[in-house]
Amino acid sequence: MESFSFYSMSAVALVSALLVVTLRNAVHSALFLGLSLAAVGGLYAVLGADFLFGGQILVYVGGIAVLIMFVVMLLGRASDLHLRQVNNQWMAALLVCGISFLGLWKVIGLFTASKTQTPPRPTTHELGRLMLAEYAVPFELISLVLLAALLGAIFFSHIDKKEPS
Amino acid sequence: MTLAHYLIIGAALFLIGLFGALTRRNVIGILMSIELMFNAANINLAAFNRFLHPEGVAGQAVALFIITIAAAEVVVGLALVLAIVRNTDTLYVEEFNLLKG
Amino acid sequence: MLEYVWLIPLLPLFASFVILFATKEDPHSPMPFVGIAVMGWCLIQSIAIFSGVVSGAHHLPYEANWNWFSFATDIGGRPFAYSMPVGVLIDGPASIMLVVVTLVSLLVQIYSVGYMHGDPRYKRYFAYLSFFTASMLGLIVSSNLLVTFACWELVGVSSYLLIGFWFEKPGPAYASKKAFMTTKLGDTGLYLALLLIFAKVGSFQITQVQNFVTMGYLADWAALAIGLGILCGAMGKSAQWPLFIWLPDAMEGPTPVSALIHAATMVAAGIYLVAKTYFIYAASPLAMETVAWIGLITALLAASMAVVAYDIKRVLAFSTVSQLGFMLCALGVGGYTAGLFHLTTHAYFKALLFMGAGSVIHAVHSNDMRLMGGLSKKMPITFITVFIGTYAIAGLWPAAGFYSKDLILEKVYEHSPLMFWLLLFAALLTAFYMFRMVFLTFLGRERDAEKHHHADESPAVMTVPLIILAVLSIVSGFALEYKHLIQHLADYKLPESFAAHANHPNPFLIKWGVMGLVLGSIGLSWRLYGGQDQRLAESIKERLLVLFNILENRYGFDTLFLWMVKLADRLAAFAHWFDSAILDQIFIDGWGLITRIFAEISHLFDAIFIDRTVDGFGGLSNDVGVGLRWFVRDGLVQEYLLWAAVAVSFFMIFAFWL
Repeated sequence: MESFSFYSMSAVALVSALLVVTLRNAVHSALFLGLSLAAVGGLYAVLGADFLFGGQILVYVGGIAVLIMFVVMLLGRASDLHLRQVNNQWMAALLVCGISFLGLWKVIGLFTASKTQTPPRPTTHELGRLMLAEYAVPFELISLVLLAALLGAIFFSHIDKKEPS
Repeated sequence: MTLAHYLIIGAALFLIGLFGALTRRNVIGILMSIELMFNAANINLAAFNRFLHPEGVAGQAVALFIITIAAAEVVVGLALVLAIVRNTDTLYVEEFNLLKG
Repeated sequence: MLEYVWLIPLLPLFASFVILFATKEDPHSPMPFVGIAVMGWCLIQSIAIFSGVVSGAHHLPYEANWNWFSFATDIGGRPFAYSMPVGVLIDGPASIMLVVVTLVSLLVQIYSVGYMHGDPRYKRYFAYLSFFTASMLGLIVSSNLLVTFACWELVGVSSYLLIGFWFEKPGPAYASKKAFMTTKLGDTGLYLALLLIFAKVGSFQITQVQNFVTMGYLADWAALAIGLGILCGAMGKSAQWPLFIWLPDAMEGPTPVSALIHAATMVAAGIYLVAKTYFIYAASPLAMETVAWIGLITALLAASMAVVAYDIKRVLAFSTVSQLGFMLCALGVGGYTAGLFHLTTHAYFKALLFMGAGSVIHAVHSNDMRLMGGLSKKMPITFITVFIGTYAIAGLWPAAGFYSKDLILEKVYEHSPLMFWLLLFAALLTAFYMFRMVFLTFLGRERDAEKHHHADESPAVMTVPLIILAVLSIVSGFALEYKHLIQHLADYKLPESFAAHANHPNPFLIKWGVMGLVLGSIGLSWRLYGGQDQRLAESIKERLLVLFNILENRYGFDTLFLWMVKLADRLAAFAHWFDSAILDQIFIDGWGLITRIFAEISHLFDAIFIDRTVDGFGGLSNDVGVGLRWFVRDGLVQEYLLWAAVAVSFFMIFAFWL
């Protein structure tokens, strides 16, 4: 069961990720991004990270992917569909990624023997304690970062009506 | 399932994201690729947590932090994209080369 | 009454601030009466305490302390806490001194209302007087030597302010500076003595120090050093040889000030301090002997200088110095009672004499006795009171000086007949020059008709204090001697060793024999100065011109001190030259030059080697960058990213596969 879940989720995630980076239509890309992210969430579930799974679905699929979709729709043009969406260094990029994959493969080979011994357990309670006790300071800092991001977003996307553009 | 399986998936997803970031002409595409890379890192964190330190949840906590950072990054990134498009009237990165030395 | 004794110094202090700060300056300001009222109250309180002491109602010594501050330190690794109390200590001498100081201060303030009338700084004068009295009273009642020292210095400050009260004139300004610096020279010794006391005893409380010393814990050398240090302070404040040079000049101040400060009270502070720390002298016979000889030398020198002075106030100043020498000599030979007795009686008749002289000066507007003469008819009250004061200071029965001086001479004879004869000579000189002053001023013919014509008796506000003091000059000796009251109040049991070699004089012979000699001395004075002309005196002066010149130049002590100051000046100049020419030029500048040379070398090295190397690295990376730029197209983010990825992938291959 676990391996089935793992392989199916991995397949969905990787295939849709590939489609994200290769499809010419940006709307489709965004849709497959959502699918890929949801599949990654599925992988979290397989790993027993229940809260992370929920967070992934809520933040990524429900928030970020939808936001990107909006922006794509906002900025997209019909002419985009007739334009090349990949630049002319794609072969070099492919080569680099392949070499890197070989490198990573070698390292990952060290972990083939590592198997899990314990069954997964609910983690939400524990995470909550961690966030408000040991990681309280990073937690507060993250909230500050979010606030800064909010302000930055408002600042950058703000249109000064009086100024002729 | 071993840890290596998850790490391979993470690596593959990361490199796909990297490939996308290197090749997409569309700015929004690059952003999407970066999201993929974030997710690859998160998979690794969750997997390490599960296989190497199952007694704690610190890896998941860091993954949560990264999700939060990613959300912030996307928001700012999209706002920047909006501003850039408004100024240059294009979505394609070759068109805005302000970093030209 | 004794519980509120702390009010006595604090009230005048408060009054002085009120007078100084509460109102504007005004020649007819009523503020002096604030000071007078306060001083009156202090006098009443002092008399109440004194009568309580005399009747035996108070147990002496009375001591009350309040905590002032405390501090902690480490001694040999152990924590040690000092506490510094501030408080009052009343013993017999203190109770007498309280009455003396408050009474004289009160009378002087009343007298000053007349004397200083119309002065532009009228109000400030009285503020200073109150401030001085407060400091002096604080000095008397304090139980803590540190507070005593502080009051001692405040007394010095008030003295400075009052001597230089007419600071527009060069004379008072110079005199105040001289007085302050000379006394400061002595105070240095006192200060060192206090430091040594604290280092040895760990306390400034007089009673604690006294216990420490009388138990014999203080080393001999320390007792000697402390004794000499305190003597130094007393020499400055009480104008003893060789620091007496300031007192004659201090007469530049207003005459009531001279009466209060430079005759009755402040100069007595030195004597009083020696008496207050008498236990230290009791522990060191050598210090005691030094005190006696300093006093004796002062008494002789000052008396001889008074003989030739023509300035009426100078005569009194030398007389004061001489009488203070008597007191110090008495203390030095073990006559604790005699010294304090004379201190008390002297305060009355010397204040009287000064105020009488002030009255004369007020009338004739001159200090020079050669311009006076025959004033007895014009100023009868002043004449009679001054005559009584002179009578008292000469030591004639039954005035106060008779009892106290007689006691001193007896004590000195017990100690050493040689000192007795010398001091007796000083006493005879005293009678001679004091009567000379009276004769020159009040008797004989009028030498300056115009001044004589304008002279007039002073107002009642000035003469009434004179009369009161005259009465006291007569009765105070007798009253204090009655039933041995003074022995009862002020006595100090010296160790047995001091009485070992005592010579026992015939009291009757000393009393009346001395009086007979004094009468002879007065007769000589009358022969020389009492008549209508002074031809005899002039002829003697011509014959002994050299001696007269020496005396008039005060044995050259002023010159000596000036010469010493000049020497110090030269030394300072030499030190300055040495510092600027030798030390600065060779060591400081030379060192700077060496440093600069090294700095130059270091700079060259830096510029040639270090900088070139750094520039080379910078240039290298610049060249590499420029070269690499040839490969990349401009400004494309993805291309930069690709290069980064290439680098990472290379590293990976190197790290993991090779």
